[in-house]
Amino acid sequence: MALCMLLLAACKHDDLTVAAPNENVRPAGDFVKNNYEMRLFSAALQKTDYFSKLNAAGPFTVLAPTDAAFNALGIYSASDFDKMNQDSLKKVIGYHILPRRLRVDDIPSNGIDVRYTTLEGSDLYVSRASFNPNGGVENETYFSGAEVTRTDVQVANGTLHLLGSVMKPNFTKNIQQWLAERAEYSVFVQGLKKFSLWNQLAGQGSFTVFAPSNAALEEIGITSASIEAMDINKYVGERLFGTYLMHHRHFFVSDAQVFSRINSSSNFEYILNNDSYYMTFSASKAYPTFKLAYWVSIRAGKGGFDPVITSGTGDIVAKNDNLCSNGIVHHMVTALLSPAQAIKQ
Amino acid sequence: MKNERLYQRNELSFSFSAWLLALSFLLFASGCVKVEYSKIDDPAYLRVFNNLNYVQTLGSKDDKVPFLCMFINPVVDANGVPTGAEITGDFLDQREAYAPPYPSHIGTSTSVNNPEYPGKENVLVGPILNGFDLSSWAQVPSGRVRIMFAYRPKNTIPFFQLENHLKKDILIDTTIDLTTKEVYTLHLLQKDFVTKKTGVLLRQENFHKLPLSDSLAYVNFYNMSSKGFWEADASLKPENWRLRSFQGGMKDEMNVFLSLYESQTNLDHNSPTIPGFKGKYLANVKRNTETPVVSPYASFPLWAAKDANGIATNIWQRFDFFIPGMDITNNPFYAGNISNGGNWVSVNCLFNGQVGLTSNDNGALLPNLLVNIHSGKNNPATFATVNTIEVVNGRVYLTTIQRKYPAPIY
Repeated sequence: MALCMLLLAACKHDDLTVAAPNENVRPAGDFVKNNYEMRLFSAALQKTDYFSKLNAAGPFTVLAPTDAAFNALGIYSASDFDKMNQDSLKKVIGYHILPRRLRVDDIPSNGIDVRYTTLEGSDLYVSRASFNPNGGVENETYFSGAEVTRTDVQVANGTLHLLGSVMKPNFTKNIQQWLAERAEYSVFVQGLKKFSLWNQLAGQGSFTVFAPSNAALEEIGITSASIEAMDINKYVGERLFGTYLMHHRHFFVSDAQVFSRINSSSNFEYILNNDSYYMTFSASKAYPTFKLAYWVSIRAGKGGFDPVITSGTGDIVAKNDNLCSNGIVHHMVTALLSPAQAIKQ
Repeated sequence: MKNERLYQRNELSFSFSAWLLALSFLLFASGCVKVEYSKIDDPAYLRVFNNLNYVQTLGSKDDKVPFLCMFINPVVDANGVPTGAEITGDFLDQREAYAPPYPSHIGTSTSVNNPEYPGKENVLVGPILNGFDLSSWAQVPSGRVRIMFAYRPKNTIPFFQLENHLKKDILIDTTIDLTTKEVYTLHLLQKDFVTKKTGVLLRQENFHKLPLSDSLAYVNFYNMSSKGFWEADASLKPENWRLRSFQGGMKDEMNVFLSLYESQTNLDHNSPTIPGFKGKYLANVKRNTETPVVSPYASFPLWAAKDANGIATNIWQRFDFFIPGMDITNNPFYAGNISNGGNWVSVNCLFNGQVGLTSNDNGALLPNLLVNIHSGKNNPATFATVNTIEVVNGRVYLTTIQRKYPAPIY
């Protein structure tokens, strides 16, 4: 009986007063607006009407590029956003917001290309190095190739990660369209067309393209006029221009970096399409800037005695990792094989 | 006086009824637990290994990870999506190098990933058959059963709770014939390295029917590598320095030689061996992914060492696989050679398979074939075992089966 009484008595509760939750924690929109490291991102949010949305209930994950990241793209003030196509801007900014709370701990350990749907509607790719199987803790996270420089900033309606560069999604635009729009690569495009390598870039991927700028090609003696004058029967096209294309792969520069942390190997060996030449792709944080850079080197074969014929690099973070519908394009500041190195034997 | 007795009786009946109430409360509370014992009529005993292996590298980041869910007699809806099954083995990961005699080792694991079936699954397991403990074999319905393997994402969400579009990727859907009270191992294999064709190999084991001595250790060998693996370029094969010479695979026909070393305190492949057991021919092994033939068991004595006392021994084993015509006396390669075109591979079996030799040799590592464990008053006591060494592509696996042994006395 006493036991029953005790049980019954246990059901009675006095009213408890719970401390009111702290209402001073700002929602994501206000947090970005009041932070001087994200003034440009804040301006972009206001321009694209995402600002009020980010002050709503959420939850959200905001991937906020710093002002320095926008500066690297040539955006220095809020008015620079006015010059852009507003629909494209809205899509890109929407790509930087996830309709969920995603803390770094929620991302699978050593997950590569884990996909999350953005507010824009398309998926982004997350790669995260958390540990090395041979021992040791790692802590690097990349969203579609952009490095997270500060993680897990808690805001009232979600979480915020600071990005060291702006993600560059091109949604339904394929690599061919992307290259065609940019005058900087016109000589490269001309070369691809001349050697019948151009049409495939509109097809199914995936491709990783290392696009040398006109200036880079000029340094090894390739100009618009010289391509015009070339006899296509004299050169191995898959070598001269195909060397910049990797078939069936989609690599962010950060992928090689992540694998160097979790697998102790950042090199990828690749035999050129329809050719015997051998390419090695690798990436790491370059000294002394500690920014991501990649290297491509070319050898005549994969034997141990085949010396490196030429190598090229791309170390401008803001110009790499252009995500297109059928692959990824990276900017290359030094070009690879000169016409003399690709003559048919 | 009368009043007092009445009072006493009242008190007595009060305490009695309180006890009664408490007791009925207890009965009521414990009555909520309903134990349902499951039972499989006429079971067969099945152990499943996923021999499809993978490594996480830059080049393979887009490849499908063979992380699977197994179904026996699945229920499939109109779209071909499994909605239930008589038996489900979820989170079936790639196989581990060592399949121990008891599933106890994985009982302490905190991950859901299962290196074999039943492994971590809490299911009905096999009995002790002819002295061999079959607790690593699951009871499954016998007769003709449909078996299905589906790809699943590598996470911790059970298969049937996954989103629908993630359940459609079926790797293998086939039927196997199981006889009641027989012991089977089912291997999921890549059968062709070039076309990436996969399939299953169901082997009916016979160790429990053989007159095996308990003072001999037994071992048999299989090469279940895919066609074209050893011929393929090294860049297409996963790199794993722990597998040393096995990384590149071995040729389709090999002879196996056994060396028995005196002591595990000598971590050197040049250390003293037991007389008569230095490169002793054991068996011939041919690549086979199609026919479920049980390879004959070879044996070596448990108490072969000089200091063997009938209780414990410290010997360890090394197996050299050579192409026919080659043996340890005419081996042209230097001891540490790990890329010899699949002509010579070797494996050292000592301790728990994690301790490497200090000498420069080319051997992969596996645990000792003999089991050293506390039994009776002896700690350790050494037990003879029945073993299977399987080579699959660039990897080598050891399965150890042990007889039931006396419980430890502390």
